[in-house]
Amino acid sequence: MHNSIQMRIVSRLLPPAIVFLTAVSAFGQPGRPATPPDIAAEWVLQSNEDPGQIGGLGQPTLGYYLGVPFNDAGRMRADTSAESLWGTPEYQCRPHSAPHQWRGLGGARILKEEDPLTRDIIAYHIQFMRSLDWPIYMDGRPHPPAWAPHTWTGFSTGEWVGNTLKVTTTHLKDGYLRRGGPQTSDMYSMTDFITRHGDTLTAVTVIDDPIYLEEPFIQSTTYQVDVAATTNWETCNASAFGENGGTNRHWVPHFLPGQNTALNEWLKDEKWIPEIASRGGAKTTYPEYKSTLNGSVKVADLKVPMSKSAVNVSKAIADQGPRDGEVHILPVQGNVYMLIADGVNITASVGREGVLLVNTGTAAMTDKIMAAVRQIVNTTVNAPVPNQCFGVNCAGTVGWSSLFINNVIGSPAQAKPLRYIINTSAAPENVAGNQKIAASGFFPRGGGFGAAVSGVGRAAQIIAHENVLFRMSAPATPGGKEPVAPTAAHPTDTYFDEFHKLPEYFNGEAVIVYHEPEANTDGDSIVFFRRSEVISAGNIFSTVSYPVIELDKSGSIQGVIKGLNHILDLAVAEYRSQGGTWIVPGRGRLSDTADVASYRNMLTIIRDRVQDLIEKGMTLDQVKAAKPTMDFDGRYGSDTGSWTTSMFVEAVYKSLKEKK
Amino acid sequence: MMRRLFMGALALMLLAGVAAYAHHSYAATYDTSKEVKVTGKLVQFSYKNPHSYVTVQSNDAKGAVQRWSVEWAGTSQLSARGITQDTLKINDSIVIVGRPSRVPGEFKLLLVNLTRPSDGFQWGTSTGDRVE
Repeated sequence: MHNSIQMRIVSRLLPPAIVFLTAVSAFGQPGRPATPPDIAAEWVLQSNEDPGQIGGLGQPTLGYYLGVPFNDAGRMRADTSAESLWGTPEYQCRPHSAPHQWRGLGGARILKEEDPLTRDIIAYHIQFMRSLDWPIYMDGRPHPPAWAPHTWTGFSTGEWVGNTLKVTTTHLKDGYLRRGGPQTSDMYSMTDFITRHGDTLTAVTVIDDPIYLEEPFIQSTTYQVDVAATTNWETCNASAFGENGGTNRHWVPHFLPGQNTALNEWLKDEKWIPEIASRGGAKTTYPEYKSTLNGSVKVADLKVPMSKSAVNVSKAIADQGPRDGEVHILPVQGNVYMLIADGVNITASVGREGVLLVNTGTAAMTDKIMAAVRQIVNTTVNAPVPNQCFGVNCAGTVGWSSLFINNVIGSPAQAKPLRYIINTSAAPENVAGNQKIAASGFFPRGGGFGAAVSGVGRAAQIIAHENVLFRMSAPATPGGKEPVAPTAAHPTDTYFDEFHKLPEYFNGEAVIVYHEPEANTDGDSIVFFRRSEVISAGNIFSTVSYPVIELDKSGSIQGVIKGLNHILDLAVAEYRSQGGTWIVPGRGRLSDTADVASYRNMLTIIRDRVQDLIEKGMTLDQVKAAKPTMDFDGRYGSDTGSWTTSMFVEAVYKSLKEKK
Repeated sequence: MMRRLFMGALALMLLAGVAAYAHHSYAATYDTSKEVKVTGKLVQFSYKNPHSYVTVQSNDAKGAVQRWSVEWAGTSQLSARGITQDTLKINDSIVIVGRPSRVPGEFKLLLVNLTRPSDGFQWGTSTGDRVE
């Protein structure tokens, strides 16, 4: 009887027990192997494939491109890049570029960030000596939009593929593929495959940069666990002239095409390597390439199983400022937001004192821009927040009439309306929304009496350099009476000298408008939000194209470069040449000093090349044929549209030729 | 004892190696087949890792004042040679011989030797006096 009861209990409990036990694995993290290889440890570099990359004795040489699947642009970029660039103020504190991090000295520390309750791994963090923390998110979060900033470590997500951690990294800044020449653009992505075999860690890295590479570049690095190791950490001691000398803090070292004559020096000790192979290129990396060396097969006829980039680079660049008829909102810092309105960036300061907009977008986007601003106001300033003050001793409390009672009943003070518009130029995409958007605002210019006069002091104030007003108020047709833009869209307050300050704080900070003479036009301004640490750059800075230089409006390449240098003088990085002062470009992704420096460098290099060709007596057509922008065209150029590479080169040529 | 000495030497070598590894490569930055001599006044001595820098103010061929930035060794290598932050003084008259930058027009050198005539101080003449 007793046994019979036991048997019945067992027979009833056994099936659910089996189900329970077999279901335990379902509680594990999806995709995680049954026994996850714990890659968290202190690791020391064991070996990699690059001669001259390891140790204090190793000094990579110029022109060492073996194994690099360069395209022509990548080769030109490498040939003309100078190592001295790393001594400039904007480069001294940069960490090693992401592709080189596994290969730098000082070891690697891999840490785990766990959810304290579920013990699931939220992220791995990898740290090298000359690096920032590199988080690899394992919790399934999406990658940011294309208009989000790029960083030195990028944005990484990880997933287990068997015993290998596959890491996908996007949003990387530009840098170098190897020290000593080969560069990367800021449009590359990186895929790491990290595998642990006992005490050995192997990182296979695939660098996909269609701007400079014919096919993805693959490198592997091996590490050994070392419980006694510690990852070195290096401080940055930068100074403006400390490393490069001279007295020009905006000096951009580079070689003109053909000027770098030391590219073959290293081959003197490596005579067995054919010079042509040392120049890189996808075909040189395949065994079949040997057949070209004896002349039996021409390189052009050589067939190799080349892989292709997974990046649609034109789309990736365009996505930084999408022409999708929508307004996207990106919170920046402090009071400031970036609105991406059908590809045109608008900067908004939102706070209790109201709204300030830098530029008003195209006319077609006006309603959506105004709706986006209302959305920001309603979700920030106007949004009820839980009361955080308890009792009668709260600041501002009078008796029982606590100021904070409004928080409890969900009715905070409403933000004041749009007060200011600042136009950074008279370009249509910057001013077309002025009239309607300004009319939605309120700026009491009439004082105690004038406010009662119809039309006085109603609309928001519109600030710009006076040349913007001159252009908008000029006759639309020669001899005509109608101005280019209606009067209600014109700047109401202009300035004519170096800068204009708002007379008092707005939303708790100083806002300063600086004139950048003869840049894209003669009326360009940048706007500095001094407490939020944000600069709205207007059209002198773009991450999606070469700058539009309007010669007929007194624009010049020199003025654009000078304006970018001014931004670099005002802006300060937070750490390791990254973050800190954020810069909103006229078009494209949110940027920082490093991005502006790269853009400034690109324009300085192109200016110097064109100047050199002019001094050699070349005509405009000859300069265009010499392709002085070839290594940057894949990134910023265009053969179609309203601003082509050909138009840009012509503008550079003429602004140098005619203003000399 | 020997093992301890060996480990100590190994640690020093590794430390020196780590300190010397910066972004840039000497071979790519400087033309190591050439030498430039600069005589002038010391206006800055930045004693630091991964490399120290000496700034020398000197007149160029046209008589214009130029500031030369001279890359020296890191603190580990210099301190092993007895050189401290106080070894060089501002306004010292010094003579520098260095490898020039590969970039035309750049006032930048990799130090080969440094001489201070006032007291005969020299670096670059002893074994091991080489920027690493």
